[in-house]
Amino acid sequence: MIAVNYLGAAVLFCLGLYTVLTRRNLIKMVMGLSLMESSTYLLFISMAYRARSTAPVLVNPPKGQSGTQLAAGNVADPVLQNFCLTAIVIGVAVTAVFLSVVVRIAQHRRTLDADEVRELRG
Amino acid sequence: MTDAALGSLLPLAVAAPLAGAAVSPLAARLSPRLALVTSLVALLTSLGLLIADAPAVFGGRVLVHYLGGWVPVRGSALGIAFAADPFGLAFALLSAGIGALLVLYTLSELGGLGARELGGFAALVQLLLAGLIGAALTADTVDLFVWFEVAALASYGLTGFFLERPPALEAAFKILVLTTIAGFCVFTAAGLLYNTQGALNYGQLATALAKPLRTADLLALGLFIAGFGTKAGLVPFHGWLADAHTAAPGPVSALFSGLMVNLGIVGIARVSLQIYFAAHTPVLGVLMVLGVVSALLGACMALVQDDLKRLLAYDTVSQVGVMIVGLATANPAGVAGGVYHLINHALFKTLLFLCAGAIVHRTGRTKLSEMGGLARSWPGLAVAFGVGVASIAGVPPFNGYVSLGLIHSGLRDSGQYVPYTLLLLAQVITIAALGRAAWLAFLKPRSESYEQRQYLRLGMQFSLGTLAACCLLFGVVPGYVLDKVADPAASALLGAGQYAAAVLNQGGTITQLHTVFAYADPQELAIALLSVVLGALLAWHMLRRKIPRVLELLRAVHNGSVNDYTGYAVGGIIAVVAAFLV
Repeated sequence: MIAVNYLGAAVLFCLGLYTVLTRRNLIKMVMGLSLMESSTYLLFISMAYRARSTAPVLVNPPKGQSGTQLAAGNVADPVLQNFCLTAIVIGVAVTAVFLSVVVRIAQHRRTLDADEVRELRG
Repeated sequence: MTDAALGSLLPLAVAAPLAGAAVSPLAARLSPRLALVTSLVALLTSLGLLIADAPAVFGGRVLVHYLGGWVPVRGSALGIAFAADPFGLAFALLSAGIGALLVLYTLSELGGLGARELGGFAALVQLLLAGLIGAALTADTVDLFVWFEVAALASYGLTGFFLERPPALEAAFKILVLTTIAGFCVFTAAGLLYNTQGALNYGQLATALAKPLRTADLLALGLFIAGFGTKAGLVPFHGWLADAHTAAPGPVSALFSGLMVNLGIVGIARVSLQIYFAAHTPVLGVLMVLGVVSALLGACMALVQDDLKRLLAYDTVSQVGVMIVGLATANPAGVAGGVYHLINHALFKTLLFLCAGAIVHRTGRTKLSEMGGLARSWPGLAVAFGVGVASIAGVPPFNGYVSLGLIHSGLRDSGQYVPYTLLLLAQVITIAALGRAAWLAFLKPRSESYEQRQYLRLGMQFSLGTLAACCLLFGVVPGYVLDKVADPAASALLGAGQYAAAVLNQGGTITQLHTVFAYADPQELAIALLSVVLGALLAWHMLRRKIPRVLELLRAVHNGSVNDYTGYAVGGIIAVVAAFLV
């Protein structure tokens, strides 16, 4: 049932957001943001799904169906799946930058507590 | 050249800085400065390509290029479109031009850094500018998201560029958290819109959204506004802005404030005026509220800052608010004023941040309370700073006078007197904040002399001089700028139907609107005079008295906690989305 996917995406997103809003540990905040990110993947993959559709691969169609039939509407939307791939790539890059900043903060301050890293204020 | 040939130059204008970003770190191995020279060449190439397209575009034609030749079939587009309309091209030209000036400035200010640093710096600056130019030219929602992320990734690197400085790391973490959330908003919005309308192309979306909207469309609109609002630094999404500007080196702050925040404005303008143009949503009302609140709050925060760069950064929040108010009037004078102010802001804020960077470079001080007497020891810089302040203050004959005047007349035309009054109040506070800064840094007498003495090198002088001259020029010939740039841009934003048709038909024209600006309008002159007088009085008051309680409270809200800033931003996202759904 696809509604479960949407619900799952919403729950994942809220969990991630809760982590970012309430945890002070910088690594946990990064994990929260990663959770929010994966919820968008789940959302996009679910939006791409059409009722009883197959994967959007038109070569070697399943038995009894031709590529043309598949293209006519019985496949999941490849465009949204593409976005998902793009987002995964961008997400990996952002997480890498995130963690390298956290490592540097940990080296300089000897702490991972966000509350002790607030020199810039007011 | 034919329009198709001119259109095919558009991807090259983005490819040039991207290629430069790859080559610069390698060139740095030969000679550190070669990295910056490479990026200067790449940016000037991009500028040249964009200038080749300028006469056709500002003449009212829209140049369109579908990447890979994937042109629309029967009104539906799968390929990614690059479409140069006057609004996008004006921003792209501004990015390439000011970007080249900033690289030149960096060459003389930071030219002494090592090969690794300069190579990385040049690559990141070019990536950021490629992202901005791409975002200005694209006509595809997901492509816009990709350029948003390219610019964002580069901005993270630039914020934390001086990795050995702990505040830079703190600022990098804040900009990472808030911009990543903004990225989710934009991405989810583009996906939702694709899911309901089956389109990514601006033209196709604008046609599809003319029908009554569904909930998902409204949700997407809210998420777009919140996501780009974060990039633009609108209140309450502005938590990252002041910190990122304070920690970064001078030219990087100038790049962020003068150019990068405008990416958010381009996104907001595209979505609210060109994509959702036919939809009867309260989008203009929401923008007006966001704009007025940002203008006021940014100015108030700027008034109480002691750090010069932080003061200028909060002023950026305020100026972005002013531009959004201009766009939210949705009438020719207001929108033309908004676009004009975007150009002006890029010029004068870049100038001011470079001045601030030069002061830090020369004296090693960042706090206003430790400065003073710079006008006597450094008159050239004082003049440049003065030009910037006068431009923001809206003093004729500088450029701010024209754009503010246009926005005011836009507000009067649409009879919105409450935002008008609040905008004037914000203007007075802005003048007070900058006047206070100019007094403390330049005019206040100072007994002891500074220990460090470094002079402005030729590249720095050239960049400051060019920017100051542009501030004056754009204020002296408003008729020309309006006729050639601001009016065509406003026509493209307000003639959204024609823009949409042009994108889908791979080229088209836009009917030109004409606004007039009465330079010697007694009302505008009186406003300029009165706001300067009131601003000076307020600055004088602030220098003598303690900070008022309200402003202390406002400062306490900006407590530096990244969790709280995220909380404000999420509250803002919920409020904006709720405004559309309820």
